[in-house]
Amino acid sequence: MAIDTRSEGAAGDTGEAAAPGATRFRPSPLGILARAVVWAAVAWLVLVFPLGREGFEVQRYSQAVIYGIIGLSLNVLLGYVGQISLGHQAFVGIGAFASAYIVTEQNLSFWMGVAAGVAVGGLQALVLGGVSLRVTGLYFALVTLSYGLVAERNIFQIEELTGGGQGLAAPKPSGFETDWRYYYLCIGFLALVLWVDWRMMRTKSGRALLALRENPRVASTFGVNVKLLTLFAFVVSGAFAGLGGALLAFNDTFVSPETWDFRLALIFVIMTVVGGLRSRAGVVIGSAFFALIGYLLDKFSILQDGLNAIPGAPNLSREIAPLVIGPILLLLTLTLYPGGIGQQIRPVVGWLRGRRFDLRDRGPKEVQISDVRA
Amino acid sequence: MEWVRERQGHVITAAVIALLVVVLVATGEKESLVIGVITGASYGLVALGLVLIYKSSGVFNFAQGEFGTVAVYTLYLLHFHVPYGVAILGALVAAVTMGVLVERLIVRPLFDAPRVTVLVATAGVALLAIGVEIWFGEATARPVGRAFPTLDRVTVLGVQVSDQRLLLLGVLVVLAALLALFFNKTNLGLAILGASQEPTATELMGISVKRLSTIIWAMAALLGGLAGVLAVPEGQSFAPGVLTTAFLIPGFTAAVLGGMTSLPGAFLGGIIVGVVEAVATSAPVFDDLPGSPGTLLVFVVLLVVLVARPQGLLGKAG
Repeated sequence: MAIDTRSEGAAGDTGEAAAPGATRFRPSPLGILARAVVWAAVAWLVLVFPLGREGFEVQRYSQAVIYGIIGLSLNVLLGYVGQISLGHQAFVGIGAFASAYIVTEQNLSFWMGVAAGVAVGGLQALVLGGVSLRVTGLYFALVTLSYGLVAERNIFQIEELTGGGQGLAAPKPSGFETDWRYYYLCIGFLALVLWVDWRMMRTKSGRALLALRENPRVASTFGVNVKLLTLFAFVVSGAFAGLGGALLAFNDTFVSPETWDFRLALIFVIMTVVGGLRSRAGVVIGSAFFALIGYLLDKFSILQDGLNAIPGAPNLSREIAPLVIGPILLLLTLTLYPGGIGQQIRPVVGWLRGRRFDLRDRGPKEVQISDVRA
Repeated sequence: MEWVRERQGHVITAAVIALLVVVLVATGEKESLVIGVITGASYGLVALGLVLIYKSSGVFNFAQGEFGTVAVYTLYLLHFHVPYGVAILGALVAAVTMGVLVERLIVRPLFDAPRVTVLVATAGVALLAIGVEIWFGEATARPVGRAFPTLDRVTVLGVQVSDQRLLLLGVLVVLAALLALFFNKTNLGLAILGASQEPTATELMGISVKRLSTIIWAMAALLGGLAGVLAVPEGQSFAPGVLTTAFLIPGFTAAVLGGMTSLPGAFLGGIIVGVVEAVATSAPVFDDLPGSPGTLLVFVVLLVVLVARPQGLLGKAG
């Protein structure tokens, strides 16, 4: 596989391969105004729109934002180093339990709880990765899947930590008791994760990560410590997942062991891939979409009616909807449009950043999940 | 010493099995031995299908379990209307159809894609199958009858072995032998092996690698379907995704233990994983572990094999 030097652009950083000598495109005043209007509309949708909504709806929006964090967590692993985790529900779930445990059982503050979620998420990735990252690719996927099952059937059954069948309470932090305040808190954390992710990929190590995904052998001849960096990415991914888990716990004000089964892990992978690997905007949009699928079905009855038109099909409830729609979107994405949402919105994002609207801007050609590394 | 080095895999396998038997007999866990071999047989059957696909196309097929669940569903739906034997036949046809469809619609368009992409796709297929099963069948357990009602015709080491389980064991042994013959003696089997090692050279010999791929997926789906209709009725009820949740991970562990490319290895690996799981469930040493100790021990076995002997017991190093 040829090393595509533009793949850094796929990380959503610059993407601007301006040829030397060519004059840089500057939008006209009208163009700037149009872009500002669209930016304002996006900001309104994210920041103002949820304000006038009912509590339980805002809770769904918060969940969508948190799913964005979880999607970014998988993107680090799947998009940047090309390793796949099929046990991410374990990382998220353990983060959720750790933070709830710190707050309810140890009576420490919410911030300590979140810190514990992040730390435990990173730590378990360090331990699991330290043991198992000798194997990569398909075998690593198998190890993580198996680990997810262990978390589900063993770790979450430890009653002292998880409260057994009753689960653990996770009260919203003081100052953020109302659902919409908590929503803004989640937005803040998502912004933080996006910023960390962006800065990380701008460092030397970040570029080394992309290089080792393209070709680990070539990367290692350039002095990249492939094993250490893969482990580093796994730990970052685990820490993001732990953060997502902690936020999820306080959003539901409750953590139950039953939530975290392997279907959730597959949904996490699907939302990241459909969102578009290495495209931050795409991953967040894809993840939010999967968090909101059931809600959208309820909200827009026309979708529901369309599905009910299938002869003999029972009602598609909001719990099952992601399980049916998700894989179909995944398979369509993989076979027809491997860049996912990130690739589809690329012309729009480019335009919003002050470039020409270019429908042919499909990003780097070889958007792939990973090298063959089994 | 040369002799030992050449047969390292076999020596280690023999040592592992001997150790398991000695420990179990010494600690009075003889029952686990029998129960383990029986459950292990169904893991072996799942593992055979996994190995078959890995051998030919280098893919970890996470949809292997769902071939079985689809077969069980078909069996459940059909056996209200037709005799059991016919229902089983219909179930196997359903599984093979699904296998061919998966190959045509998903694996073939991804022919040149990285293998991890195909893995994600097969996981998607598994989730889709489970989703559709819940959508149409609801998340409740459903009853399904055994092929043979007799439970106590044979007793081994104090454990009653039902006819259903004898049938499963017999089918597994016969299949493993047949598959070994198929790959070593028939033209088609050799062509498949060739295609897995050198697809381009195989194409140049005038063999259609893509057609071979369809055949392989159909065969693997048949194995998955057999695992479903033979192993699941023993418990007399099933829920959506039953083979994925209960059989896929042990099946994969068995396949990895056997070396991922070795058919007899998959068979042996299944038995070993089954015994380990049975011991974990019954031995008092593991009582203090939270949740189900079987899952934990299978995970440990997987990790140990991958770290200590990644080529598995009977696989080839390198």
